[in-house]
Amino acid sequence: MLTKILFTLVVLVSAASESFAHGTGFRTSELRAISLEFFYSTGEKMSYREAKVFSPKDSKFAIQSGRTDEAGRFAFTPDSAGEWRVIVRDEEGHQCEAVINISEEWLTNRENKENDKVITAQSDSPEGIELIIRALLGVSLIFNLAAIIRIRRAAHAH
Amino acid sequence: MHISEGVLSGSILITGWAGTCAGLAVGLKKTDMNKITRTALLSSGFFLASLVNIKVGPSSTHLSFLAPMGLILGWGVFPAMFVALLLQALLFHFGGLLVLGANNFIMGVSSLSVYLLFGKLIRNSDSKILVMALAFISGALSIILAAFLAGVFLTLSDSNFLTAAKLVVIAHLPLALIEGLVTAFMIGWLKKSAPEFLL
Repeated sequence: MLTKILFTLVVLVSAASESFAHGTGFRTSELRAISLEFFYSTGEKMSYREAKVFSPKDSKFAIQSGRTDEAGRFAFTPDSAGEWRVIVRDEEGHQCEAVINISEEWLTNRENKENDKVITAQSDSPEGIELIIRALLGVSLIFNLAAIIRIRRAAHAH
Repeated sequence: MHISEGVLSGSILITGWAGTCAGLAVGLKKTDMNKITRTALLSSGFFLASLVNIKVGPSSTHLSFLAPMGLILGWGVFPAMFVALLLQALLFHFGGLLVLGANNFIMGVSSLSVYLLFGKLIRNSDSKILVMALAFISGALSIILAAFLAGVFLTLSDSNFLTAAKLVVIAHLPLALIEGLVTAFMIGWLKKSAPEFLL
């Protein structure tokens, strides 16, 4: 009889501890986070856009998903070395993909600020003088193509 | 207006390329090679228009000149846009090479549609107000059509057709008004000063 009572008590206590396992808590993460800012070529921020993070282990299924904030910012915490991808897209078909190479040293050495070079600001589109040069090059290529067609036609006519 | 690389599914990319190849074949056949400089001029205008940012409320957009391209070039809009979009992808990283077919199809069909709908009416009309009104409608409609087609392409790649298409069309309404005004003044001026430019 005593054995049965003891057994019942053990079962009840384990069930109770199982139910308490659904409590919540938080603590500061030991991992370093990477915070990125996403924007359009017009300079406008990609605010409240869908963001997905793909780890080096799985390039097909996102390990994390969410939305950028008002300033187009999105942060994630890589926990393994390799190539991490963050893809932010809007409903109009615009998409920006950031590829970040995380090294073992970056993961382990939190003090070394040099490691922050892993995160480099990259604009997908050219800006300033480079943009002007590329625009002029494009116009020049179009007119050169037209000139080639004209010359070939003239030669063909003769 | 450009759909980015990696957004559309494989079958939609192939559909876009198939449509663009058909448009290019007809366009190259129908383009008057003696007027190739005009095609180059408009192709350059289209290429550069994407750099002209316009502030619309809290967001900004850029011009595309879809309707003027169609009304001046007709079917020739496909090759003219193809070259411009290719250079935009290579030099400005707008759109992309794989998605070039879909982007060219979306913009080419929109541009060609307003030419087929209003080209003849504008050419034969003597009333300046009517010409400008039709040009305004052409400009606005070309943007709405392009936005709708982009919405359809996006939805067929993903899901939730109506929501995506509606969102894209609504987002482009301010640009539609601006393009309508630009087209109205541009075509109105051409009709008066150089009517031979209009096909």
